[in-house]
Amino acid sequence: MKKLSLIFLLAVAALFVVSCDKVDDPLKPVDPVYPDDSTGVKTVLIKDFTGVRCPNCPGAAETVHQLQHLYGEDKVFIMSVHAGYLAQPAPTFPDFTTEEGTAWYGTSDSNPLFNVDHVDLASESLSVNEVDMPLSNALSEKQVFDIEIINNYDTATRKLTTKTNVKAVSEAEGNFYMTSCLIEDSIVGKQLTLTGSDTSYVHRNVFRKTLNGAYGVMFKEGYVYADEEYDRQYEISLDSEYNADQCYILSYVFDNNTKKIYQTAMTKVK
Amino acid sequence: MKRLVLLSAMLMVVLAVRAQSFIENAQINGSFQTDAQVYMEDDGIGITSESIDGKKFAVNGFGKVAYAYGNFSAGIRFEAFQPPLNGFREELKGAGLANFYASHDNGFIGITVGDFYDQFGNGLIFRTYEEWSLGMDNSLRGVRTVFRPIDGVILKGVYGRQRYYWAPYRDRDMTISDERGLVRGVDGEWDINQSIQSLNDAKFRVSIGGSFVSKQQEDQSMFYYIPKNVGSFAGRINLGYGRFTFSTEYAYKINDPSAINNYIYKEGQALLASLSYSQKGLGIVLQVKRIDNMSFKSMYTAQENDLDINFIPPINYTHTHSLPSMYTYSTQPNGEMGAQFQINYTIPKGTPLGGKYGTKLALNFSQVNDIIRDSINDNGMMVLNMPGTDGYKSSFFEASGHKFYRDINFEIDKKINKSWHVNAQYINLFYDMATIEGHVGMPDVEANIVALEATYKINTKNSLRLELQGLWEKINKNSDVDESEKKDYLKRGDWAFALLEYTFASRWFVSVADKYNYGNPFSEYRDHYYTGSIGFVKDATRVTLSAGRQSEGVVCVGGVCRVVPASSGFTLTVSTSF
Repeated sequence: MKKLSLIFLLAVAALFVVSCDKVDDPLKPVDPVYPDDSTGVKTVLIKDFTGVRCPNCPGAAETVHQLQHLYGEDKVFIMSVHAGYLAQPAPTFPDFTTEEGTAWYGTSDSNPLFNVDHVDLASESLSVNEVDMPLSNALSEKQVFDIEIINNYDTATRKLTTKTNVKAVSEAEGNFYMTSCLIEDSIVGKQLTLTGSDTSYVHRNVFRKTLNGAYGVMFKEGYVYADEEYDRQYEISLDSEYNADQCYILSYVFDNNTKKIYQTAMTKVK
Repeated sequence: MKRLVLLSAMLMVVLAVRAQSFIENAQINGSFQTDAQVYMEDDGIGITSESIDGKKFAVNGFGKVAYAYGNFSAGIRFEAFQPPLNGFREELKGAGLANFYASHDNGFIGITVGDFYDQFGNGLIFRTYEEWSLGMDNSLRGVRTVFRPIDGVILKGVYGRQRYYWAPYRDRDMTISDERGLVRGVDGEWDINQSIQSLNDAKFRVSIGGSFVSKQQEDQSMFYYIPKNVGSFAGRINLGYGRFTFSTEYAYKINDPSAINNYIYKEGQALLASLSYSQKGLGIVLQVKRIDNMSFKSMYTAQENDLDINFIPPINYTHTHSLPSMYTYSTQPNGEMGAQFQINYTIPKGTPLGGKYGTKLALNFSQVNDIIRDSINDNGMMVLNMPGTDGYKSSFFEASGHKFYRDINFEIDKKINKSWHVNAQYINLFYDMATIEGHVGMPDVEANIVALEATYKINTKNSLRLELQGLWEKINKNSDVDESEKKDYLKRGDWAFALLEYTFASRWFVSVADKYNYGNPFSEYRDHYYTGSIGFVKDATRVTLSAGRQSEGVVCVGGVCRVVPASSGFTLTVSTSF
């Protein structure tokens, strides 16, 4: 019996020794996997469908921003689209909902949801843990278009003239559209978190509206060949509640048949 | 050759005799249950063909058989969810052998192989159990040993992988959605009075215990170093002196980032303490608990109640009446601090208030608040509950002002004479619906509830039972609520409930009931939920057939809850055991 007791005690001691791993530095080292030189400067857009009353959204947004940091902030853009039940207006919470965001959100029923280089959730819907692989794949794709945005903002009148120039850098076939969006970054407002309400939460890259509709405007149907160029110009008045210093124009080109986005660019309004 | 034939014949005789003995001297018991529902459209409560989505019939069923012969026992359980009833997880869909085991225990040492259930102490770091009404089963498949070296000492060891619906148990080629870790644990308990002969009958009683449980998991995270081994330990002590009993258990868990705690690396802690006093006609219990980051699952990405290794006991009154049980508290593993006080007193027989049979009184108070969370400095930046950090700091003995739940109730139970038995209960309830049910932005429930019950025994075989309940809630009836949020108010506002049950010929019962949400803030939700039931009970067999509407609610057992959506149709329950 003594032997049995001894064996039991030894087993317990062994279990104690091997069964605890204390992690002192939780973050894994950044080891970016940039695209090959041959893929040029292919950029990728992540749409983060979020809500001010979604307690899981801040953590998910943080995760996606770490991905952006990992792959390069000049190659990965994030647009926070407030849509869905948890984004709906409620007393004391800011209202960031938009008609376009609601259209992209469609019949989805939860937050946070994401997509990578897709216009709406009907064409792709991902949980935060599923973003990494499509993002890595998208960054490895061959670049088809180059986008240049030229903004001219009049501080006195708050009038913005923005021109998006799309240039094909390789051949492709599709039903190509372009959408221009107004984004406001770093808006301080109430957000529900896992530990309660945070009244001074910083909302990053909030989608405010499009300049040409939820599904943009067509510029080419069929084949595009290298060096073909198209441009679209828009004039808008910036709402007084928007901080022009924090506003950006984000434009992307997509195939309206598949709703797949080919290229994205983002430029400050001022 | 002849020798071989003779040997074979002898062997067969011995086996036949043993087999006969295995059957005749064995104990076999089992139980079976089938819950079936037919779902029907009901425009009155918003159940349409779209919301039913083709699911017109659902069945949950199980059958289990256990065999015992001397020190040996074995058992199996078969389950079928074809498809699961509304409110049960769709992952349950399927049928098969869910549980089997074989065990040998000679009193000194016991070994179980297969699927088993066990608990260390209060379960703060280890409890596997099965709860049919929740569709929950977190059994371990592996090996369990029990060792009793001397009187009063029990040592246990467990090792295995938890059940995860119908996911196969396998070590290799696991997909991301099935990355269950291994669970290993040991527990020791020493009843000092039992071990030391001179203390066997002592007035002062002491037992102590301790456990250690660890999970081994694979790190599949891209961003964070997930610890491959997460250990937890707990210590407990039970003291008794005369009519007083005091017991307490403290548990500690090392860094365990998970989807539930937002991938923070803070340690987890839990404390449970209970002091009670009892004498004839009087019982007093005071309980306190503090839980901080104590979700412990064998898969760090698991959600809800999936793959729980531990169990956090609730310290709240368990309501059985229909209306208060709509707002049952669900434990918050990320943090809560609560207390409960219960006093039971029986006014003695033969006194003016006690009457011929005595009068039972019970008063209960319980409240649970959030814990305090303060931001921490992480590499020069102040953060709060940020993934990849230690999350927050929290003062151990301080509760937050954020109240999750409060229940004050008073009950009188009185047998008036041989024919009449009455029971009355008043409940004052506070329920943080936004936190407990996840309906973000919903106002708290502050309700007064009265439940009255009277049973009239007509004769030895026939009786009549009447139950009346009312729930009055302080809620703004002119709430300016967005159309899409209205459905969260489905069970809010004032309710009335009535039930009449007639039991006849000892074995049959028939009942009619109506639950009416007459004070819902929105007129379209002021619905009647009427049901009619008929049932038959004989020995351990019970058959019940109900028809009517079921309101939306939650079913909670031990602080673990599942949401039951509203439905309309028929329900048949058949259960038996032998």
